[in-house]
Amino acid sequence: MIFREVEDRDLIAKARQGDVEAYNLLVSRWEKRIFNYLLRLVSNREDAFDVSQETFLKAYQNLRKLDDPARFSAWLFRIAHNEAFSLLRRRKPESELSEPRPRDFGGRLLPIELSLAVESALKTLNEDQREAVLLKVYQGFKFDEMAEILECPVSTVKSRLYTALDLLRATLAPAVLRKGGLA
Amino acid sequence: MSCKLQEDRPDWKAYTLGEMDARVRQEAENHVAACADCQDELAGLRVTLDAMATLREEELPRRIAFVSDKVFEPRWYQKMAQAFLRPSFAAAGLIAAAILVHAFVRPVGAPANAPSQAMAQVDTRAIEARVTAEVTARLQNEMAAAVNGAVTKAVADTEKRDDQRTAVLLSATERRYSDAADFLNKQVTRIYALNTGAGVR
Repeated sequence: MIFREVEDRDLIAKARQGDVEAYNLLVSRWEKRIFNYLLRLVSNREDAFDVSQETFLKAYQNLRKLDDPARFSAWLFRIAHNEAFSLLRRRKPESELSEPRPRDFGGRLLPIELSLAVESALKTLNEDQREAVLLKVYQGFKFDEMAEILECPVSTVKSRLYTALDLLRATLAPAVLRKGGLA
Repeated sequence: MSCKLQEDRPDWKAYTLGEMDARVRQEAENHVAACADCQDELAGLRVTLDAMATLREEELPRRIAFVSDKVFEPRWYQKMAQAFLRPSFAAAGLIAAAILVHAFVRPVGAPANAPSQAMAQVDTRAIEARVTAEVTARLQNEMAAAVNGAVTKAVADTEKRDDQRTAVLLSATERRYSDAADFLNKQVTRIYALNTGAGVR
């Protein structure tokens, strides 16, 4: 566990009293994680940045409503989730037209190519499945925290995540097996 | 070869995702050591998750702009509203208002230390309701008055500053035109004198 001289909960307490610099520090701690989560969710850098900014603004305005500062990360991702899906709903017709199709990753891949293959494979998932993977695999949330962020039962979280992993495994298998020299 | 546990086989996804209890985890590890089917499944999941770990983390295109901006600090009226809502202020206000209201509701001419029999006839619920209503109204009035006063003062200050700035600019402009007019007058007089020979010996 990373030692932090000042814990998030101390910064939250200060920010609640109007200390902008304390909130700045909180943002600097979380902005990259939030941005990357949103980037994979909305698949557009500018949109991801705009939604990140909106997320931190809303969090700042509603900081007093946060009941338990220990749950700050889940609460922050919940706001980011709401903002992202609000955007996705607005641009739904466009995204439906450009539905990504699974690609063939049969060739031998360099690390950068494997990274791009993963990025592409993630886009083949539906939004719910992709978000489950992002929260679990890339953000390390526990199932109960994911259920809180997504406002759904743990069973739904597991179902989405497990289906997503099966799909990713099938999509990436040729590439990862060749890369690992297993095929 | 298929896993002999079939439906009861370990949840390898939960295992690789770190969502398995220590006891169940140990049982699963004991099982997989002797089950080729589960070894394949576990290996496949691990390879997939390893591949997913290669996804590059992106840098933000620019920093979150608003966080250092002073505009995100509470405005003066928000600070004032917060001050009014602080428990100590509210408690002091309530006590002060209650004393005032008590003075109003006490029967005219009745001594402050009236006999207990007389006090017993007073409808305490009605008094409580009146006190609450009065306190609420007074707090709202005080808050509204404070906000209005601050707005009026802010507007007056702004107008005063604008007036002063306008006066300074006007004065400077007048002075500049006056100097220019003097200069022109002197030039015209000089040219006239040169042309007419006036003053030239």
